[in-house]
Amino acid sequence: MVQETGKFGIVVSQYFRNYYRSRSFYLMLVISLLISGLMTYFSLKYIGNLHVTFGGVSFSSLSSSLKESAVLYLWAFVLSYLPVFSAVFFGSPAISSEIENKTAYHIFPLPIKRSTLLFGKFTAAVAVSYIIVSIYTIFEIISYVILFGSFPGIVFLYSYLLLLLFIISITAFTFLVSSIFNKNMYAYITVFLLYYLIFNALYIILDFLYNYNAFFLLSEAASIIERVFIDINTTVPGSATISLNGAGSGPIGIAAIVMVIYAVISIAGSLILFDRKEVK
Amino acid sequence: MASVDVKGVSKNYGNITALKNVSLSLDTNGCIGILGPNGAGKTTLMKLITNIIKPSTGEILVNGTNVSNDPSTALRTVGSIIEQPEFYTYLTAYETMMFVCRIKGGTKEYCMSEIDRVSEITEVKGFLNRKTGTYSRGMKQRLALAVALINNPDVIVLDEPTFGLDPKGMSDIRNALNRIREQRNSIIILSTHLISEVKELCDRVIIMDEGSIVYDSEVDSVDKSLRVRFYEVPADGLNSIANEPVIEDGGKTAIFRVGKEVPNYMIIRDLMSRGAKIRDVEESSGIEEKYLEIVGRGKD
Repeated sequence: MVQETGKFGIVVSQYFRNYYRSRSFYLMLVISLLISGLMTYFSLKYIGNLHVTFGGVSFSSLSSSLKESAVLYLWAFVLSYLPVFSAVFFGSPAISSEIENKTAYHIFPLPIKRSTLLFGKFTAAVAVSYIIVSIYTIFEIISYVILFGSFPGIVFLYSYLLLLLFIISITAFTFLVSSIFNKNMYAYITVFLLYYLIFNALYIILDFLYNYNAFFLLSEAASIIERVFIDINTTVPGSATISLNGAGSGPIGIAAIVMVIYAVISIAGSLILFDRKEVK
Repeated sequence: MASVDVKGVSKNYGNITALKNVSLSLDTNGCIGILGPNGAGKTTLMKLITNIIKPSTGEILVNGTNVSNDPSTALRTVGSIIEQPEFYTYLTAYETMMFVCRIKGGTKEYCMSEIDRVSEITEVKGFLNRKTGTYSRGMKQRLALAVALINNPDVIVLDEPTFGLDPKGMSDIRNALNRIREQRNSIIILSTHLISEVKELCDRVIIMDEGSIVYDSEVDSVDKSLRVRFYEVPADGLNSIANEPVIEDGGKTAIFRVGKEVPNYMIIRDLMSRGAKIRDVEESSGIEEKYLEIVGRGKD
């Protein structure tokens, strides 16, 4: 007899197959390749003009390590949008589509725990998002090697690991939103509104009115992916400061904890909601 | 021997009660037909048995295991078609069936032979490797039946399996169901609007109305005992035949409804003695009579 752990593997492979054959996956693939191509072009062609971004300091006059950090920062800055779009495409309809598309009639009567179904689908969604961002990361590494003649160092690895953690937490967050609704469109819109409007509005209000850094927002925690290279600190209202050093272990730890908390709470919430989900 | 026990189950949606304290015990292999008008609670009962929804009160046991508490065990030997199921559009029928079979505990080799067996019965062999997103309604319904039959379930729950199909599709599904029924290896619970389907496929009939079971009997006994005939004869001032009054007077023709207890020869003798000729005779099934008596003629 197949145990629940065995069923988990079967569920993951089933949903992974359904995801990577979907139009959403190919759309994200195209977007990832397009952004990767643009960033590669930018890196190789206009690398000498980076002083525009770095406060008038000529890029050629920067130290070697700072140049490397600057390039990786820019790649990571652009990258931070990709997991969000990927999670929206794969996570937002994850639960709601089972109801809207009536596939719930096919899977709910199966002899499997809803938690196994949810974790299996979640794992598959995270895996396809990893593929999407990994394509970008491969382009990033190639560009880096061409520019600097070596592979990026340990900080790049930190950034990549934080990126993987962010994908888990943002996907979990979209699963939670998806499990609230029975219509995909509501889930899509809600995720976008929460992440890009509500989170940003909260950040600005707390920063400008109360001089408080909203470190607990997922969008703020996600900024650590690029801040490990160059730490742009906006804790002082209206006067963002730039530290040319990367964020230290303190901010990295806090951001990682925030992302883990989002992931755990979101998955727990979606599990409770999915377990109670009924097709009326 | 498989069993399904529905014990005092109610289901409420807010203020609306879809099912009222329903109890039902099924422990004999064969087909149980569930009839009822729209809103009678048939689909709600099917969804409860298959864990798509959970009861507000009461419990449902399949082979002695509570469906809500332990679906992994209870539903291992249950196959179902509920409403008009959809499948993951980017997977093929083969992958869909393999997934269900493996979740139900089959090994890869066993599942391959099972897919072969059920696709033969349901005639899905021709499109096994096509993605289900390209399927017509009829193809999806056949696949749904194939999925329901995989791993030889003890209990097969079918909610209007021929709904929305053309006559050929309906006939194909019924033939497949007949083949399964004849094997008598499982309890088939068939919810339908079609009395003819129950007559053709089932051994037992349950009629539901307003969330309750209002009738439960063997198909053969109710069909024979309640069968009636309708005689259409020229009106010619006839008010009754064999003491049965006219039920419909169309001016030129009159229709009489005669119960099974009045033998045919009495009718013919009575009409001949009055010089009347029979234009048409129709026999209705006893199930139909019972159904109409319970849910009301003209309703649904």
